[in-house]
Amino acid sequence: MKRALYATVFAVLLLSAHAAPPRLPAQAAPPPAKKKASAIQVLMITSDEIKLPAEFQISLYENLIQQLEKQGGFLHVYREGDRNADGAADLVVLHSTVRGFKKGSEMARNVTTVSGKTSIDVHCQFTDKDGKSVLERDLNGKVQFFGGNLRATLDFARKAAKLAHDNFAASPAS
Amino acid sequence: MILRSMRRATVFLIGILGSTALPSVAQQPAAGNKVVQVTGLAGVKTNTSGNLTLENGSLQFASSGTKVSVPIHSVEDVITENDSQRVFRGTIGTLTMFAPYGGGRFLSLFRAKIDTLTIQYRDTDGGLHGAIFTMPLGKADPFKKDLVSQGARTTIPIQDDSGSSNTKPDAAKEKKP
Repeated sequence: MKRALYATVFAVLLLSAHAAPPRLPAQAAPPPAKKKASAIQVLMITSDEIKLPAEFQISLYENLIQQLEKQGGFLHVYREGDRNADGAADLVVLHSTVRGFKKGSEMARNVTTVSGKTSIDVHCQFTDKDGKSVLERDLNGKVQFFGGNLRATLDFARKAAKLAHDNFAASPAS
Repeated sequence: MILRSMRRATVFLIGILGSTALPSVAQQPAAGNKVVQVTGLAGVKTNTSGNLTLENGSLQFASSGTKVSVPIHSVEDVITENDSQRVFRGTIGTLTMFAPYGGGRFLSLFRAKIDTLTIQYRDTDGGLHGAIFTMPLGKADPFKKDLVSQGARTTIPIQDDSGSSNTKPDAAKEKKP
């Protein structure tokens, strides 16, 4: 009797696990805008609501530019204020605003492994040359185990560069 | 048996301590500003150590093989902050993680306080750059003072009692965007 009960419970669990329809990644997020651009301009990271240390702000900006150049796909990666960007026809501009910041502790990470996480939440908005928004996404950068706190900025930069490449890059990755 | 392995672990830790203590003493700057360029300078790899000087109206970073110069008048912001970093870092720091009996975790408790100098500057095309330097405690504020006196701008005014970096008020430590 007991064995039959166990078998039924097991079968129900097995069925329920398989019955749920698999979530497709396309259903989770809206389909990205496919606008090809040969150049991208990165504006300095802003933090209206959050007090972000200057080193994190600069590190986010510099890592973002480095990763965009490393990822390839754009002929030019312009910095904020670069006069050469004015002449670029198909330009996308990346505006990044920090929405959340938690400065963890490298020592706590090393000693306890589970605590001391540093994380940064950034709202990324891609606009065209006229300022019209073409894509908006919230990205996160974090360092959980190894490395200094600034490593969270590299994590964010990698994700943002991939997002830009997947949606706007005119040429394949180098 | 346990005693023997504990003795071996102790010898391992002492070995690491000994091998890192000597270079750190030797790396003490004799004069000038021995810094580590964390990121930002064009043509310089991340975490490159070198000398930061103010010469002929420009901020110069010189390391083995590379020399980068930034005109001081193009520096738009200079910010100093305090931070700390592991005493045992780099390859040795990574190796300590494999030390037995949590030796790596114990060694990560040893931290050195450092000053952070962050600058924002424009290149000849008007492009905005940022650079982060770390330097020994107490060196960043005098350097910032020199930089500002030679024409660099800052959003956070220099404190009069800048002799000790730890006594800065919280408001001055954080940049308002």
